[in-house]
Amino acid sequence: MSIAWQFYISSILVYLGVDVMACWGLNLQFGVTGIMNFAYIVFQAAGAYTAAILTLGPSSRSLFQHYIGGANLPFPIPIIAAGAVGALLSLVVGTFTLRRLRVDYQAMVMLIVSLIAINVATNQVDLVNGSAGLSLVPKPLSQVLNLDLVNYQWFYVALTAVVCVIVFLFVHQVTRSPLGRTLRAIRDNEHSAAALGKNVTRFRLLAFVLGGAIAGVSGAILVEFIGTWAPGSWTYAETFVLFTAIIVGGTGNNLGVAVGALLVPVVFLEATRFLPPIGYPGLIDALQWVAVGLLALLFLWRWPRGVIPERRRRFRKPAPG
Amino acid sequence: MSVLVASIGFGLISTSILAIAAVGFTLQFGVTNVFNLAYGSVMTGAAYAAYVANQFGVDIWVSMVLGGLFGAALSLLINRGLYTPFARHGLGLAGIIQVTLALGLILENGLQAIFGPSYHSYQMSQGPSFHFGSMVFTAVQVGIMGIALASMIGVHALLAHTKLGKAMRATAADAPLARSCGIRTEFVTDIAWLLSGLLCGIAGVILVMDLQSFTSTTGSNFLVPVLAAAVLGGIGQPYGAMLGALIIGMVSEVAAAVTLPQYKEVIAFVILLVVLLFRPRGILAEVASLKEVVA
Amino acid sequence: MAAGCIPAVNLINQAGGVLGHKLECVVADTRGDPADAVPAASQLLATQSNLVGILGPSSDEADATAPIFNDSKMTMMGDTGAASFDQNAYPYFWRLTPADDVKGTAMAIWGRQKGFSHAAAVFGNDIGSQTDVPTLVKAFTKLGGTIVSNESLALDQGDYRTEVARMLATNPDVLFIEADAQTEATFLANLKDLHGLIPVIGTSLDQAMYQAVGGAIGAQNMHDFYTTIRPLIGSLGTSTKTYDQALLASGSQVPKPDQWISDPFCPAHYDEVNLLALSMIAANSTTPSTYNSYIPQVANPGSGKTLVYSFDEGQKALAAGKQIQYVGASGFIDFNKFNNSTTGFEAFQFQLDGSTVSLGTIPIDEITQANS
Repeated sequence: MSIAWQFYISSILVYLGVDVMACWGLNLQFGVTGIMNFAYIVFQAAGAYTAAILTLGPSSRSLFQHYIGGANLPFPIPIIAAGAVGALLSLVVGTFTLRRLRVDYQAMVMLIVSLIAINVATNQVDLVNGSAGLSLVPKPLSQVLNLDLVNYQWFYVALTAVVCVIVFLFVHQVTRSPLGRTLRAIRDNEHSAAALGKNVTRFRLLAFVLGGAIAGVSGAILVEFIGTWAPGSWTYAETFVLFTAIIVGGTGNNLGVAVGALLVPVVFLEATRFLPPIGYPGLIDALQWVAVGLLALLFLWRWPRGVIPERRRRFRKPAPG
Repeated sequence: MSVLVASIGFGLISTSILAIAAVGFTLQFGVTNVFNLAYGSVMTGAAYAAYVANQFGVDIWVSMVLGGLFGAALSLLINRGLYTPFARHGLGLAGIIQVTLALGLILENGLQAIFGPSYHSYQMSQGPSFHFGSMVFTAVQVGIMGIALASMIGVHALLAHTKLGKAMRATAADAPLARSCGIRTEFVTDIAWLLSGLLCGIAGVILVMDLQSFTSTTGSNFLVPVLAAAVLGGIGQPYGAMLGALIIGMVSEVAAAVTLPQYKEVIAFVILLVVLLFRPRGILAEVASLKEVVA
Repeated sequence: MAAGCIPAVNLINQAGGVLGHKLECVVADTRGDPADAVPAASQLLATQSNLVGILGPSSDEADATAPIFNDSKMTMMGDTGAASFDQNAYPYFWRLTPADDVKGTAMAIWGRQKGFSHAAAVFGNDIGSQTDVPTLVKAFTKLGGTIVSNESLALDQGDYRTEVARMLATNPDVLFIEADAQTEATFLANLKDLHGLIPVIGTSLDQAMYQAVGGAIGAQNMHDFYTTIRPLIGSLGTSTKTYDQALLASGSQVPKPDQWISDPFCPAHYDEVNLLALSMIAANSTTPSTYNSYIPQVANPGSGKTLVYSFDEGQKALAAGKQIQYVGASGFIDFNKFNNSTTGFEAFQFQLDGSTVSLGTIPIDEITQANS
């Protein structure tokens, strides 16, 4: 394989890892617990900004970008911190939005949260350098390893894979544990769960925070790879791609969701790069979004449980307690 | 000081457009429970329909009516062809929201594919300006406020004084019960979508008449304020939507006058979030429990 | 971008190509987003085995892709005004596009030259706008003017009447504005309705922008009130004429080529292709790692250099053993040690048919002086 192809394929693999992680986090919130988090990209962004700031060093050393609280921390502290910030932000947002709100209100409130976040990030230029965003984020361990370009790419693929495995073990553990059962019970019938004495709001918040932490980590892995992050593209469409991936893969099923992340953001969206350009610039882009929308509708109609459906769980005896 | 007074006048115009859109959104939602996130894209669709008519030399006010009719027809079609089948197919509330979002994306990008990414404007004159103290309105803006007022009175008259209005309210409150009382809920649902689409279309066209330039994302950019106004007042409540539109419209203009203009929208949204903390169903809500989609 | 690349490639191929190779323009869509630009860039590198150089991309996509192209030793002609490249350290990154912060200074100078003293600065809260404002304010004040109102706008709002009223309350005699097309159109339409327009100095660049703003306030008002400050195109004549002819002749490949005639970026892209081609000939190699360092040699001024105005003139002069300076359709080119070339700005007035007429230039020396 030529160097350039290795470069391309390794990049796509990193993106795949990031999308898979992001989908697992969102699946924990939406697929398992039933929270319509249309602001998911905000928590990914929070993680990305955190990792970038903690890698870039003090803001005063930079001529062209300004941000709050820069530091030069060694790998993997920025990535862990990104997860923590994702969780913390989720805790704050969740505390205010998950109480007593209907699912459609929640969806709208999340849209509003993402608009507020974009506005603050763009207007407070000294926070994360406004709409120009942060750039020139150094790659983790690149100085230490001293690898050539392609080998570093493969190193980063391996790094992403390791983080994916950790995240998978985590979400797998959560979904199969009693906690996961409670979350699914809340999703399927909130009132029955409440009647069984479960504190619905607190469990929802827990799922929301765990999902937010994963979102933060996925953002960190992405920003440390591409080296730049700006608020320009946080539209609901970006989050919709993740939702579509979950629906296509199999809502609630971690394996299915990973397949969905492979099929929708990677195979489906990446394939259009190989189409010859037609019409005016932007036409393919527009048609591609139409296609993503149709894909979501098709699956919701024909295969609402996705490619790999969630297992229906049966219990012989009612669980004690 | 005069900027503050003027901003209240400007708030009236924003309120007018928001009110038509929010009442349209909430009328339909109250009856059928579909949280229609494609609403903004239908507004854009109607704006383009009026644009095409206007390009053929049709007067802008007539084009606006055509845009409204287009919105009504499109909304009916969307519900009959997409939402109702999905709801009958057993898709729950959350699933329907995904469907509406997917449709919004399809419509918005479909319009972009047809009309291109560039900007369009209507052939129209803003007419003479009228001064009321430090408030200034153009003839078109006075017209917009008139249309809003007429729409609100019309919606009130329909709901309060006609049999159809009563049937709509009954369906909104409890569709199965209404059905067993002999109300043709399917017909009522169709009417709700038609009316909602009409208001949606008119709002889309007057939004563009006011903006004076638009593209395929114009309506969806306006969606969140519309949702905010509808939810703030208590969703499914037309009077709540009017109140919500007034609050959101006024707050954003006055906030632009007294604080940093770049945060005007944010301030309105923060107010909404605070209200929802204390009244999770909005200001005027009575019956807004979690129901499934009426199909 | 095709409107710059295709005419250049056509002329180069007509003149025999580069060292026996024919050139071709291929497109990679970065989808307006740095995260999407990275796979776009690496896919381009992977699938195009005979890639000799890159034009673009713009804004923060350049931040994401410059390291990739640079690490791959692939010459790129960036299309970004971002300040992160003002002291660019990537040897393979070159920029003809002026930095955004320089544009702010140019706007201030033009405003003062036209005798305005009380300016309102109204900028959208997006990328270019935020970089322009500090230099605009600094230069306008330094030149003896006063910024009476400095407002940042949230983009794509339903209206800006209150913002307009706030601005009018400070009685400005000129308005500096830059935002996205929808925002600028609505703001100016609101200004027109509330008070009537005042002189506007903007940076309205492309066709979409003209359609939005011109559609909102009318072509006559666009002509009467709106001055746009853009990178120097220069009435340098020869190169520009060659480009225009080649552009109009490329009608089968570029849809409606005449719409690009007054676009300031297309001639720059045309120049970038010519620069790449000429430096390949000078280096006698189409390999970027070899020809990259020859780029300033064929572009920058120097004593004893022969001025050339097209690829064909350039290759003949090089074949005759001469040192050349390529004078671009976008103006004189002079790369500094950061591989940036800024050659000044030009003020334009819109005509009723949407074309532009030059009102005068703002030389780079004046900008540097006002910036210091």
